[in-house]
Amino acid sequence: MNNKLVINFIPGKTTLHKMTGGTKVLLFVLFTVAIIVTFDIRVLLPLMAVPFAAIISMKPNYKPLIFLFTFMFITVGIIGTIMLLVVSPDVGMTHVGSHTVIWQATDRLYITSETLWYVLVTFTKRVASFATVIAFVLMTTPSEFASGLSFLRMPYKICIIVSLAYRTIPDIARRFIDIRNSMQMRGVELNSKRTSLGKRLKYTGAMLVPLIISSFGKVETIANAMDLRGFGRLKKRTWYAEHELTRADRIARAFSAVFAAVILFYIIYTKIINPYPVTMWCPFVKLENITKINALDTIFFLKWFD
Amino acid sequence: MEETAIRFENFGFQYKVQQKPTLYDINLTIRKGEKVLILGSSGSGKSTLANCINGLIPFSNEGTITGSITVNGVETRSASLHELSKAVGTVLQDSDAQFVGLSVGEDIAFAMENEAIPRSEMVPVVYRHASVVGMQDFIGAVPFDLSGGQKQKVAIAGVLGSDVSILIFDEPLAALDPQMGQTAVELIDNLSQNGEDTIIIIEHRLEDVLHRRVDRVILMSEGRIVSDSTPDELLQSTLLRDYGIREPLYITAMKYAGCSITGNLNLCDIHCIEFTKENRTKLLEFFDGGTSVPQEDTGEEVIRLEGVDFAYDEGVNVVSDVSFSIHKGERIAVIGKNGAGKSTTAKLICGIARPQRGRVFIGKKDAKGLSVKEIGEHVGYVMQNPNQMILKDTIKAEVEFALTVRGTSQDEIRERATDALNACSLYPMRNWPVDTVSYGQKKRITVASILVLHPDVLILDEPSAGQDYKSYMEIMHFIDRLNREYGITILFITHDMHLALENTDRAIVFADGRLIADDRVFAVLANDEVIQRANLKQTSLYTLALRLELPPEQVIRRFIEHERSVKAGE
Repeated sequence: MNNKLVINFIPGKTTLHKMTGGTKVLLFVLFTVAIIVTFDIRVLLPLMAVPFAAIISMKPNYKPLIFLFTFMFITVGIIGTIMLLVVSPDVGMTHVGSHTVIWQATDRLYITSETLWYVLVTFTKRVASFATVIAFVLMTTPSEFASGLSFLRMPYKICIIVSLAYRTIPDIARRFIDIRNSMQMRGVELNSKRTSLGKRLKYTGAMLVPLIISSFGKVETIANAMDLRGFGRLKKRTWYAEHELTRADRIARAFSAVFAAVILFYIIYTKIINPYPVTMWCPFVKLENITKINALDTIFFLKWFD
Repeated sequence: MEETAIRFENFGFQYKVQQKPTLYDINLTIRKGEKVLILGSSGSGKSTLANCINGLIPFSNEGTITGSITVNGVETRSASLHELSKAVGTVLQDSDAQFVGLSVGEDIAFAMENEAIPRSEMVPVVYRHASVVGMQDFIGAVPFDLSGGQKQKVAIAGVLGSDVSILIFDEPLAALDPQMGQTAVELIDNLSQNGEDTIIIIEHRLEDVLHRRVDRVILMSEGRIVSDSTPDELLQSTLLRDYGIREPLYITAMKYAGCSITGNLNLCDIHCIEFTKENRTKLLEFFDGGTSVPQEDTGEEVIRLEGVDFAYDEGVNVVSDVSFSIHKGERIAVIGKNGAGKSTTAKLICGIARPQRGRVFIGKKDAKGLSVKEIGEHVGYVMQNPNQMILKDTIKAEVEFALTVRGTSQDEIRERATDALNACSLYPMRNWPVDTVSYGQKKRITVASILVLHPDVLILDEPSAGQDYKSYMEIMHFIDRLNREYGITILFITHDMHLALENTDRAIVFADGRLIADDRVFAVLANDEVIQRANLKQTSLYTLALRLELPPEQVIRRFIEHERSVKAGE
């Protein structure tokens, strides 16, 4: 079960796995913030390299990961880029600040080198954040997630809800398969070659009824089990999963403090002290050639309303 | 005078959402150190009674209390759920759902986490509690890797706080196979050995609980206590029959033999029961009689498996080299403990799983060329939990579903659905919404929804799970009728030996993915080696045979014959 879903239930053996939930959640939040605030590829590339290195250091099962990254590449990378080029071919103008056509099909359908740069940077950004999520999911068990959130001062009831929801995913997946099997035996054809997408969606919808009803019963039991063991009485609670700090924890926490300061300085510097005129730096657009325009101008269909 | 642990005085309770009280006039005193069994069928109020002791009533489930209940001298209403949970440990029925923590250690620590005890203090306590139930080597394990019995041990360890002096077990055997159930009963007994802890067991499976001594049995029905006696007294009375509780098999056997039940010492334990001379003679005479049953003629072959192997992960066979064939009209028990490969075999027959090696034949055709849907027209599979099968709002729509998706004509749908509904005695309630009917009725709906397809074979997965004796008997009567009147082949997947004994002719036994026996049911149940290898539990008839120094096969066969002739006469 563990190998098919990326979610990790047993604490792993590598250095990163052994860190406390608090450290893991802290690093995750800092990396996510850092990736969100920057559009500079010189900063993004190292930010992307770190989670990849982390993933490799954990010696994961690559099969599902390759699937996930391929899926992401096809949807966000290829389909997303095509949609962008169709809807807003001159988006590079807004964010990079110049307009160099390299290929033109019609009035509205053309490619500029700036738009390609924009696509490259945003894609890097998405891959980096996706890799961060995967690295985090791989290294964190649901209970570490809960105790880590609690370390960041999240109310503990929310932490427990997150952890319970997170860990019932495989249970629900298993029950879903059972229900699907029983439907197939009663004659519902779910094979994509023989049944239309519409019908398959309809039947999948019908499957949710037994899935939800059989889950409700469990909710009551777990609520009773938690009540009977004194859950929710005190304002505070401790976490068995939050073990003593390892050496890696101390290093990572020290690093986090420095990293947080750097992020803060970066934000202040790039937004207030020395703001760049457009969203992103680009190696082939010189600062003096940049033209600033309104973002709305690049969306072609708005012109129809003029 | 001994100390009182729990005292109910003129106690009554009514849930806020219900129109009538669930408990009436309860007067009951349980002394410290006692081990008490609360017996009753579903809806008798036995779980509600337990929830009044542990404080879920009135603190989590609202309602009106009349009279008084004190736990260790304190009126529960004036205490809090938390105070009560320190004195009363409750192990709930569903050991899966009550596993709150993610690992064994975490689950045991859950109560301490809520007390905000520092982690450094938790670790030794977790180890100590895990050792009490024998789980100290599994502290890092996750629930997916544990058996039902192990999960239950963890649940017990999780309620062993420092001040807990009352332990409540709510249907501890419901989710366990018989062998694990036996271990659980032994573990509960060990906990009661110190003589200080009060143990309350809530169950309807009397014979399994009586595997170890209990001091008192309290029989409940419709919210009232109908009897409060020692196990021996209860077994001698007719109360069990009257209130729909299955009596131990050896008692039934003694009654068949015409023995008088009174006057035998240690009646509640088959191992040390002292038969009176007269009873002994009667039993010997009874088991000596009878002719051997002729081998019934079997019809044409409906399913055949030839050297089937199956693995979910490469190299780890869940089923290896299984071959058997099934004929029309047979009633077969596929037995084995959890994980022995019996459910996987059913999936292979249904085409949900496909063999890696070997072949499956449905009728005369190789299943390889058939889709799941096509196999579904010959073989119907009824899942253990009816809630996982029911898709529609009304009974009629649910039963018609399989035909509707096949695009059958309206007239034919109506005709076949009416037949199926009649066969399951559901026709008068066909327009009822599904969620207003009982669990047993839901089970019948799922059977009806498969019968519309006119299958030759019906596979029922654990049909006795989650039901009390009365509704279990109803379902078995109904299945039996389908077999006799419609000639449908029935395959029960079960670990319930009573079910196999009473309702089937042939047994196929699995252990570790291999078929280890395939014979007539009395021969299999009398074969101690097979039962041991399959990790199953002998019925008390086997022990009775040993006590009487008779061959077990003869005793079991004679019992089955007699029981069937009694049933046929009814």
